[in-house]
Amino acid sequence: MPPPDLAQIERLLYDEADCLDRADLDSWFELYTEDSDYWMPVSPDQNDPHRHISLFYDNRLMMEIRRRNFGHEYAASMEYPIRCSHIISNIRIVSADDNSSECRVTSNFQAIVYYKDQNVYAGKYTHDLVCRGGTYRIKHKRVDLINCDAEQGNLVIYL
Amino acid sequence: MGSQEHLTDLQTLVQPTRVHRSVYTDPDIFALEMERIWGRAWIYVGHESQVPSAGSFITTEIGLDPVLMVRDDDDNIRVLFNRCRHKGAKLSARCVGKTDYFRCPYHGWTYRNNGELRGVPAREGYPETGFNAGDHGLVALAQVDNIRGFVFATKSPSSPDLRTYLGDAAATLENIADRAPAGKVEIAGGRLRYRHPCNWKMFIENLNDAMHPMIAHSSVGMAARSYMKSQPEGTSYPREAEILFPFGSSYDFFDQMGVTGLANGHGYMGGTSSIHTAYSDIPGYWEAMVSSYGEIRTQEILSSNRHNTIFYPSFTAKDAIQAIRVARPRSVNETIIETYHFKLVGAPEEMLERTILYSRLINSSSGMVGPDDLDCYARMQEALCSSGSDWVDLSRYAQQDNQENGNVTGSGTSDLAARNQFSAWSKLMATSD
Repeated sequence: MPPPDLAQIERLLYDEADCLDRADLDSWFELYTEDSDYWMPVSPDQNDPHRHISLFYDNRLMMEIRRRNFGHEYAASMEYPIRCSHIISNIRIVSADDNSSECRVTSNFQAIVYYKDQNVYAGKYTHDLVCRGGTYRIKHKRVDLINCDAEQGNLVIYL
Repeated sequence: MGSQEHLTDLQTLVQPTRVHRSVYTDPDIFALEMERIWGRAWIYVGHESQVPSAGSFITTEIGLDPVLMVRDDDDNIRVLFNRCRHKGAKLSARCVGKTDYFRCPYHGWTYRNNGELRGVPAREGYPETGFNAGDHGLVALAQVDNIRGFVFATKSPSSPDLRTYLGDAAATLENIADRAPAGKVEIAGGRLRYRHPCNWKMFIENLNDAMHPMIAHSSVGMAARSYMKSQPEGTSYPREAEILFPFGSSYDFFDQMGVTGLANGHGYMGGTSSIHTAYSDIPGYWEAMVSSYGEIRTQEILSSNRHNTIFYPSFTAKDAIQAIRVARPRSVNETIIETYHFKLVGAPEEMLERTILYSRLINSSSGMVGPDDLDCYARMQEALCSSGSDWVDLSRYAQQDNQENGNVTGSGTSDLAARNQFSAWSKLMATSD
């Protein structure tokens, strides 16, 4: 079988970054599978999202609720413009199954988030992708911030 | 107000049903709080399970003072100022560690893990100076004690003992430990550290403020309901929804819960019911409890439901959730809120999973509840610095406080808890030692 299509995977990652840059969670959400999750650990090398606290660990249900809460007129924390700029680099396919329908992709990112103040987040992404009908979608995303265990301020959008 | 005049007349800043905005915004008042409140009250340090064996230590702060909590070679838990007796450098910059000796990284003064000064490099340089190593051990906090492993310390030798100081608030810590089939809890699941751009009192007051959830957290309940409505009829409520929905409960619901103010500023909401009462059972937990305690005692332990207990001034605890939030003030307008989680020894692991899920949804800086609370505190901190008006109102249900046995009780949406906290504040702030 041919290896996974790196160019197609890069486009997916850039499309995802573009949705987040525009704070368009409805479009972002469409890039994920029905059984997806999104994880941002609070400790370096954390291996358990269930018995160890995380900054984010959203299953599809929580993504649905968060999407509906995002920008809500009754939420104090949502009364500010949110604009982001994501830069993704060092994209690597680190593993793939035999028929290339599933693969794990890692990358480095830097995200500048304007939300009340301008904040910088940086770290490593791990995307688990599945290919169905020739199109990749995201089944699992892990965001390891280099300062995950630092004192954090409000972060109300996915990175 | 000039910076000195208010210090001579603190009593006018805190009145029965209102407080002057400067108690939240004035750096001089903050400095005085560090001395008279945080320098006298019993402050939460950590849990003994964080220092499980000889030499284990954590670092934290009491007020603005860096401290070490360490288990020494004789198995005593000590709380020592994290400060070399030579030039004053912090001995350890780690959050957690294990060591036989603390060695200052500057000039190498070395201390045993009980605080005694063990070594000074080139000690022959102190001839006839009167230098005596025995006088230069790490300084211990004046009093250290614990309740079921929750360790507190106070800088004041004249503060009453811990049990006296906490009064009935201690029952919440007893209940947290009793909820473990083995009768004890252990710290587990990591911690959150959340930077709050506000005065520490805003956070502590909010934890017994039941007028805010249906406003500040309404969007989250709506979002959860909207999602559930989009699902096929009969879809069972997931645990996430069980946790989020009660934040949108009615004023009546919170009124029924009730609020209790205790001596020294402590207090709690609920008692027999809270927003956590209706959670579904976790398989195996009840059975494990009954096999340890019997059915009657198990029922008794689990019927306690204090929504948030305030241990004034330093932390808040949820008995039914096994999580605590600790306020570490940094300055008049900055506070770090640390969340810690506890595992019920002998209970199914799923109990810890629920604790973690709750904390992630509610306490995280990316949660569904904490960010809205924080934003409201930040708005108060910013706007109270303006001179638009000088007073913050605390008069809700002020005429309906019930005094009983030294406690004060009222409807859940009363401002009673904040009034009770400021009553303790005034007493401590009024006098110097």
